[in-house]
Amino acid sequence: MADRASHRAGPWGEAWARVVRRPGAACALAWLGVVAFFAALAPVIASGHPLVWTQRGADGAARRTFPLVEHLSAWDLVLAVGVPIAAVVLALPGRALGATRGERWRWVVASGIQAGITVAVCGLARAVLGEASAVTAGVIAAVVGGAGWLLPIVGRPGARAVMAVAVALGCVAACHLGSRVPLVDFDRYAQAEASGGATGVYTLIPWSPGQGRTDWYVKPPGWRVEAERGAASGGGAGGGRVFVLGTDALGRDVLSQMLHACRLSISIGLVSTGIAVAIGVTLGALMGFFGGWVDAVLMRLVEVVMAIPVLFLLIVAVGVLPTEWRTTHALMVVIGCVSWTGAARFTRAEFMKLRGQEFVLAARAAGLPLRSVLGRHILPNAVTPVLVDASFAVAAAILAEATLSYLGLGPPEQASWGALLAGATGTVGDFVWWLAIFPGGAIFLTVLSYNLVGEALRDAMDPRRRARTDLA
Amino acid sequence: MLHYVIRRLLLMVPTLVGISLVVFLLVGLAPGGVGAALRGAGTGGGGAGGGGAASFDAGTRAAMEAYLDERYGLADPVLVQYGRWLARVSPIKFGPRDLVAPDGEVVRRPGAVREPPAWRLFADALPRGTGEAERSGGAAGGADTPAAFARLRAAHATARAAATRTRGELEAALVAYARAAGLPEPADADGRLRPGIFEGRAPRADLPEWAVARIAAEAALSAFAEAERTRGALLAAFDRGPLPSAGFWVLPGLVSVASPDLGVAFSKNRPVSALMAEALPVTLLLNLLALPFIYLVAIPGGALAAARAGTWVDGALGGLFVALWSVPAVWAGVLAVGFLASERHLGLFPASGLHAAGADAMAFLPGPGVDGGWEAGYLLDLLWHVCLPVACLAYGGFAVLSKQTRAAMLETMGRDHVRTARAKGLGPREVLLRHVLRNSLLPLITMFVSVFPAMLSGSVVIERVFSVPGMGSLMIDAIQMRDREVLLAGVLMVGGVNVLALLLADVLYAAADPRVTLG
Repeated sequence: MADRASHRAGPWGEAWARVVRRPGAACALAWLGVVAFFAALAPVIASGHPLVWTQRGADGAARRTFPLVEHLSAWDLVLAVGVPIAAVVLALPGRALGATRGERWRWVVASGIQAGITVAVCGLARAVLGEASAVTAGVIAAVVGGAGWLLPIVGRPGARAVMAVAVALGCVAACHLGSRVPLVDFDRYAQAEASGGATGVYTLIPWSPGQGRTDWYVKPPGWRVEAERGAASGGGAGGGRVFVLGTDALGRDVLSQMLHACRLSISIGLVSTGIAVAIGVTLGALMGFFGGWVDAVLMRLVEVVMAIPVLFLLIVAVGVLPTEWRTTHALMVVIGCVSWTGAARFTRAEFMKLRGQEFVLAARAAGLPLRSVLGRHILPNAVTPVLVDASFAVAAAILAEATLSYLGLGPPEQASWGALLAGATGTVGDFVWWLAIFPGGAIFLTVLSYNLVGEALRDAMDPRRRARTDLA
Repeated sequence: MLHYVIRRLLLMVPTLVGISLVVFLLVGLAPGGVGAALRGAGTGGGGAGGGGAASFDAGTRAAMEAYLDERYGLADPVLVQYGRWLARVSPIKFGPRDLVAPDGEVVRRPGAVREPPAWRLFADALPRGTGEAERSGGAAGGADTPAAFARLRAAHATARAAATRTRGELEAALVAYARAAGLPEPADADGRLRPGIFEGRAPRADLPEWAVARIAAEAALSAFAEAERTRGALLAAFDRGPLPSAGFWVLPGLVSVASPDLGVAFSKNRPVSALMAEALPVTLLLNLLALPFIYLVAIPGGALAAARAGTWVDGALGGLFVALWSVPAVWAGVLAVGFLASERHLGLFPASGLHAAGADAMAFLPGPGVDGGWEAGYLLDLLWHVCLPVACLAYGGFAVLSKQTRAAMLETMGRDHVRTARAKGLGPREVLLRHVLRNSLLPLITMFVSVFPAMLSGSVVIERVFSVPGMGSLMIDAIQMRDREVLLAGVLMVGGVNVLALLLADVLYAAADPRVTLG
């Protein structure tokens, strides 16, 4: 019974089932799910903006506004709407929506790539063209993002077209609605409430990551803000609100920063590994398939990059960037560009093994173009070790980001676990235990989770190991 | 064996050249170039980026930029800069040999002084007498003592700095004049004057900017003449050899061999080689102490896991080591400093540095101190200080090595000689220790290679957390000051150490296993 089910799911589905069966890997996936949840929804869960803001005018009429929603950026909107939809689509049982779960996974991945490209291009186009040509920017972004659907991973043309249009419309709308207010004065809410003219309903964690006051610096977990003078009740003027995990040296809430930092960690891990795998697979395929001088030259390059310990290369590459260039995107590119050697070596070995096999020779003898031989015939058979290794690579990338942020080389003005950890020693002169335990623990659990998933995946994909563990 | 080692050492050369090229391109091609980064660091103070430069007036800023251009040769393309750096670092030099100052600094022949921009506009302001006349005259000057030579060097350095400064000021003044004269786009994005912009235009002397430019030009031209004069004198002195020459001739007059010149670190105003000589041993000490520690834990751990393969012991050990492997070095360091070293908590270990305050006065070995009481001595003091850093470097390696030990032992267990040993009635303990473990140890010799690069990376953070003055601390200081020479030399050194470790592993393996022949 189980065999038939796994047979139907294909090799990846089967491997997945084996991974989930291991308790360690299952716990790891659960933790990653939690991190991903906060990565998507942190701006809605932890914000200094009130959810509902009721302002009483001079004539006594109450006006309701929703500052939290108004202050969400385009990325926040897309993630807050898209990720729950994707989660529901994936969680539906059996052949819901007329597709197997594998197909629905492909939909989600393709839509995610399209949405990412669209929002990034839209932001870039607005920055380059200026706010006036917002429509042009939207059209450009929609077209470029639509190119994400050239990836041949979704089978049905009809479903493809519907989804592409929906995602494009949604993303461009989010770009128009998204807030671009860079600086926000959170104190005005407290002041308005203190004067009694307004009331706000806040989220569970009523702090934004950048919101801090110097008189709140380095407060221990559970510290409660004193109600300010003139407040109507204990709930007014920020009084009675709690810093669940304490504050840092600038008086900012640690929990809120940690939740917002989930997105940085997850996105840097995934995107930089994606870049590394793309570079590594391309170069490794060339090396392994052609051999000869191509192999010799590129292998020297691999040796050179491997000879430099990764962190040295990273701190030089990131350190020489001017501060205004040191953004999340730059960090992703840099980490991706120094960590491709593993993927290149794995791909090279697989291509060398496969290039002499009968099915490849047959494809070449049939006169197929090189693109087809490499991409359609060899690559799908060679990609397993790279994808298994990618899980460890994500862990390494998250570690690299945390370390760089700890050293003060991370993106400035952005909440990061590593930067929080750096506040544990040094800035205040004394050891701040809540800045050491919580952010460090989050880095550790996330890295451990990716490593556990990687181990489970490796065991599941390797028939020799599988035989051993199954017997045991 | 010797042939093999020599060949591998020669093969290291292209790798090291590649490493330096990669790093140089990284530094040179960063947005705005290293020039922008340097200008930001030089004017705005640590890491403030390009913003700081705006706080100076145009003349000061131009002078500063001219100084940086002069010092690093930034006006040339990146590859030319790289070639120049490589020629300096290469142990094989062409042309006349450099001199070595008593403090070990390599003294090179002074290069040409860049002439002021558009100086032909002000040809009538040229002072009389050029450097060429002085050069022959200086030869007769006598006094070839090192002290006299040092005076000549100092004079030239001062004159050169003045020439560079006035040149920068003249450039800024000319840009202002060209703007006022309505010339299209007088400066490029970096604020540098476009060459040839005044071609075929008569100067407009009626503009007030022209008068300013003229004053700047007079200063620049006379400073240039002075720099050329002192350079001539210095060159003449150079040929008479007041200091010992660097290295020795291979082909007299053409090719010489000298120790690599890594340049001078501007942030510390010391030769980079001296900084490296202090920092590299510290990093190596930490790593070499951590290695045996890793072996001591990982081999028994791996052996135990292999002996109990498939049981809960195996699983628990595997899980424990993977967990340790996932602990970020930063976190481990911070926790160790905070809980084990901090006075507020346990205070068991020193929190920073390599030595206690009075360590230099201590005897090497423990014994009775000066005041009659017991004294730990230099060695014990050092070991006590490196305890935590070494532990933080080591724990990550357990997972890799114990996993490899386990795999090697499981493989050996299936061999014929183990079956024979079992068949002749040896106990399981005997078989495991004498027949399996011994024969599995051979691959372990090379295993340190798989953890060594990660340990070198880890030592960057560990040194930072524990304030240990090693390569990592040096590199991070250099990054904050954008000190190019230290960055390049540091990465080159660490890469070289790494490649040497690879070679050492291969040689050790061949030495331990008679079946392996290198060649």
